Amino acid sequence: MSFVIETIQLTKRFPQVKRYREILLHPFEKKEITALQGVSLQVNRQEVFGILGPNGAGKTTLIKVLCTLISPTEGKALVNGLDVVIDGKRIRKSIGYIISDERSFYWRLTGRQNLTFFADLNNLTGKEARLRIEEVLELTDLRDEADKMFKDYSTGMKQKLAIARGLLTDPELIFMDEPTRSLDPSTAQHIRNFIREKLVREKKSTVLIATHNLQEAEEMCNRIAVIHHAKIRACGELPEIRKLIYKRFRYVLYLQKYPDALKSRWEKLPGITLCHYSYEPSGQIKLEVELEDKSSMTTLVESAVTMGAGVMAVYPKEASLSEIFSSLTVGSTHEFP
Amino acid sequence: MNFLNKPLAFIKRDFLNEISYRLSFIMQIFGILVSILTFYFLARLFGSAVVPYLKPYGGDYFSFVIIGVAFSNYQEVAMYSLSRSIRDAQITGTLEALLVTQTEIPTIILSSSLYSFLFTSLRVIAYLLLGSLFFGMDISHANYFAAAVILVLTITSLSSFGIISASFVMVFKKGDPITWLFLSVSWFLGGVYYPVAVLPAWLLKLSYLLPITHSLEGMRMSLLQGSSLTALLPNVLALLAFTFVMLPLSVMVFRYAVNQAKRDGSLTQY
Repeated sequence: MSFVIETIQLTKRFPQVKRYREILLHPFEKKEITALQGVSLQVNRQEVFGILGPNGAGKTTLIKVLCTLISPTEGKALVNGLDVVIDGKRIRKSIGYIISDERSFYWRLTGRQNLTFFADLNNLTGKEARLRIEEVLELTDLRDEADKMFKDYSTGMKQKLAIARGLLTDPELIFMDEPTRSLDPSTAQHIRNFIREKLVREKKSTVLIATHNLQEAEEMCNRIAVIHHAKIRACGELPEIRKLIYKRFRYVLYLQKYPDALKSRWEKLPGITLCHYSYEPSGQIKLEVELEDKSSMTTLVESAVTMGAGVMAVYPKEASLSEIFSSLTVGSTHEFP
Repeated sequence: MNFLNKPLAFIKRDFLNEISYRLSFIMQIFGILVSILTFYFLARLFGSAVVPYLKPYGGDYFSFVIIGVAFSNYQEVAMYSLSRSIRDAQITGTLEALLVTQTEIPTIILSSSLYSFLFTSLRVIAYLLLGSLFFGMDISHANYFAAAVILVLTITSLSSFGIISASFVMVFKKGDPITWLFLSVSWFLGGVYYPVAVLPAWLLKLSYLLPITHSLEGMRMSLLQGSSLTALLPNVLALLAFTFVMLPLSVMVFRYAVNQAKRDGSLTQY
């Protein structure tokens, strides 16, 4: 199976600016920072793939390598089977890079003039360009605002124009770097719906999104790669990542009472960890437990019933992406293949 | 005419951008008139004091200096516009968006400077028109074909230095030594304000190592004296030599700079 994107042990190290003191004391010593370390990924056709990571994790560097703006130090990166180092020109023909930075436009030109300029640079001219510009303006709901100067656009409109520009060439593969950054929740949701409905469902595009927004990643992505400190910490569908991190089973119980005798009993049961308990406004007690074996739940519930705790509800709890993210990025020592 | 689409797109972009700053646009036009008046009164002050040196050019200081100033604008544009187009795009943040398009970096850089060259050409025409219509500059015997050849060679030879300057900006962002050194020396030795003949012999030799000296010499002789290309052969050959040596070299340096910036990840930084 051929992947739309494939990176093999991709590494990028940037030279760092030395201080004057370092130049004097160690003039020949290299000072580098590693932005990507041995990153291996495969992105399938027509999927939304999320690169999730905190600021400075290496997300943007990865996208820039794939868009041929930065050369890798080691390893290989292939886009549509083409090498980013050798085939930059051909790769740029097949991709759309949606740059969220509003400074990437000419502020004193109108939205339409900006799009016309970038269409020319993408070999779209004349009638073809005009039609395509109208199409992307329509797609992004910007037709009525197209003849306003870019400087007069709201943040949401600027972001939409960035998307319109990225779609000018009708690319099969679209890169997005934090597409909803600095947008209000409603506009952000609108953009997310647009990506999911128009780009992925209707146009069957492949989308690679870099984001630190967990909700965005969870809502939109078929698969996610969590990147932290230049390395991929986990990659796959969300349930796969969950299993990878949380090998134990989590349950929530609601009890009417939580007698000390029950607490002591449970503490003696093997393979059960009481994670957390709290009093609910209804007066019930909410308990979260972790089990090594699913069957231990029967013992747990039986003992609660026997000791008159009044079991009101029991349900399994899945780790949220936020918990997974924290587990992988905050003081984590996990290493994943 | 597809190959012209991209250069025209850059010219249109820069024109739309320029006219959106209305005051600046008007001030630029006004600036041409002010500098012509300055040199006119300067010429009146000197009168015929420098005639021996100016004799080869017709003896009139005003005509001499106006051509010097007008065409030295090309040198400034060639040196500055290429590097400035990169620097501006880095600072404004548009460079990244340009670099992911289906347009190659050399086309982006060269096309970004076209508007400056066109505007400079308009300024030069304005200098010559105003000078000849209102201030007694005599270009009635001008050999425009020879002047056009000299102009093309001037732009190609000087642009090579501009490309090298742009390469510095690409990698080091600021502190480009090429432009500073080249322009300072050219203003001093290139014969913009005074004929190079006034220089001592050893400086005179140095002055002929600069393309601007040959360019201004050829331009003045063709416009003021109507010299033919044959008569201007030494200047033409010198400018051709600069072009053939410097242009491939500058392209090599530029390629290296782009690759270096891609390796450093600093292509779009400032």
